[in-house]
Amino acid sequence: MERTVEDIVLDIRGQICPACLLITLSELNNNKERLKGAKARMIVKTDHRDATRTIPGAAFAMGYSVSVVQKDRHYEITLEHEK
Amino acid sequence: MSSAGKIEEKDLRTSNERLKKYIRDKVNHLLSVMGTKPLGREELDDSTLIELDPIGIIARSFAQVLEHQKETNRRLTVAKDQLQAVFDTAGVCISIIDEDMRIVNCNEKQKELLVSPDANAIGRHCYEIYCGKDSPSLDCPAVETLATGRPVFIREVKKKNKHFQIVTSPLKDSDGNVTGVIEVSMDVTEKKKAEELMHQAEKLTAIGLLAGGIAHELNNPLGNILGYATLVLKDRESGLAPEHREKLEIIVEQAKKGSDIIRGLLDFSRQSVPSFSDVAIDGIIGKTMRTLQNRFSSQRIKTDVALPGALIVRADPRQIELVVLNLLLNSIQAFEAVSRRDKTIRVGASRDGDFVRVSIADNGPGIPGEVLPGIFDPFFTTKPIGKGAGLGLSICSGIIKEHKGSIHVSSEAGRGTEFVFLLPASGAPHPVETR
Repeated sequence: MERTVEDIVLDIRGQICPACLLITLSELNNNKERLKGAKARMIVKTDHRDATRTIPGAAFAMGYSVSVVQKDRHYEITLEHEK
Repeated sequence: MSSAGKIEEKDLRTSNERLKKYIRDKVNHLLSVMGTKPLGREELDDSTLIELDPIGIIARSFAQVLEHQKETNRRLTVAKDQLQAVFDTAGVCISIIDEDMRIVNCNEKQKELLVSPDANAIGRHCYEIYCGKDSPSLDCPAVETLATGRPVFIREVKKKNKHFQIVTSPLKDSDGNVTGVIEVSMDVTEKKKAEELMHQAEKLTAIGLLAGGIAHELNNPLGNILGYATLVLKDRESGLAPEHREKLEIIVEQAKKGSDIIRGLLDFSRQSVPSFSDVAIDGIIGKTMRTLQNRFSSQRIKTDVALPGALIVRADPRQIELVVLNLLLNSIQAFEAVSRRDKTIRVGASRDGDFVRVSIADNGPGIPGEVLPGIFDPFFTTKPIGKGAGLGLSICSGIIKEHKGSIHVSSEAGRGTEFVFLLPASGAPHPVETR
């Protein structure tokens, strides 16, 4: 049976750095256990281009795998804890 | 408010401003560490800044970074240990060599085969430690890889009397410059020996077939020559002149010699099938010694025989007699050019595991080292022309191998020669391969 992984969606469109990074880090800290246990992944929606550099850099150092996908008017950064 | 109160309030405000500036500076310092922009006062006022607690957020994030770092280190240590175990237990020699041809690291197999137990290989030149030389060989694959930056696939190189098949790969830095070489070597010495033995066996088989064919073809005409010459010699009415009779006797004698050589060739080509039975080795040796008693006496050769008895072998007694006879005759002939008084042939037999070991040794002139390797080859002889066809020892070797035994020779110039052959003891498990 396939395991279901909860998506924690963080919509920070309209925010700019460093607020984007601080809000994302705060949510990664708050949801640390669920993310680490691979029960959830975080999807960050941002329209601030700098955030596609700062968030992946920090998240990678914390042990998360990162993927960035460009949508129509924003970016989606998916953060999953490495097994 | 009193003037004193106003001063206290002003001091407190100044102190608060200093503290808020300190917090903002530290937050911005931490944000720059995280690779992002500083927080502008217009973005976040002081009270919201304290409420958001960015220092706390970054501190908790750093805790995750450290946790991840710790886990990564643990995994790296496990991977390193696993890699080291693979490195050390690999059945091949692995060596890492730098651009100056100095050894950076090598595995246990490399140390076992090519590094002296008391030598510290790390940091020393590979050609000095592995090859025992002052400079690299011209065909060294590591030199080639360092020079060309390209791998060398399977080159056979001899190091310290062992044969190796070597593969080398370059080590490069991030700019693509060659910084060293990984050398992987496989010891193929035993494989090479087996190939040489196989080659030798094939050669012997071919020579055996050829010899057998020639022997058959020559047997009949030689038999006719011998028969008719004998008939003429026995015919009293032939009226042969004495000088013709003498010449005819030479023909008979030479034809007999030819027959002997043909018999040897037929034995060599294994035309006679061995008939195995349980026989006492001391009986075979004793019988053969007795037939040579006159030769021992006439050449004043002392014999020293140590046969414990009760050593039963599974063998064809006639063929083993032939082996013992050949070895004893070799020793007797070796003494012909020796004038010493204490000429001795020692013959012994003993149990050696599942085998019976027979030793025939003399204190004759010995066999030169350069001659020894070919001594069991057919038609190999050091005797003068007419004194031997060079088939005796190859026949002995063939017979012993057919008995699933082995035959060896050791010799020292001026001190003598010892031949040792092993035959399966009766009742011993049938050997799978020749020892």
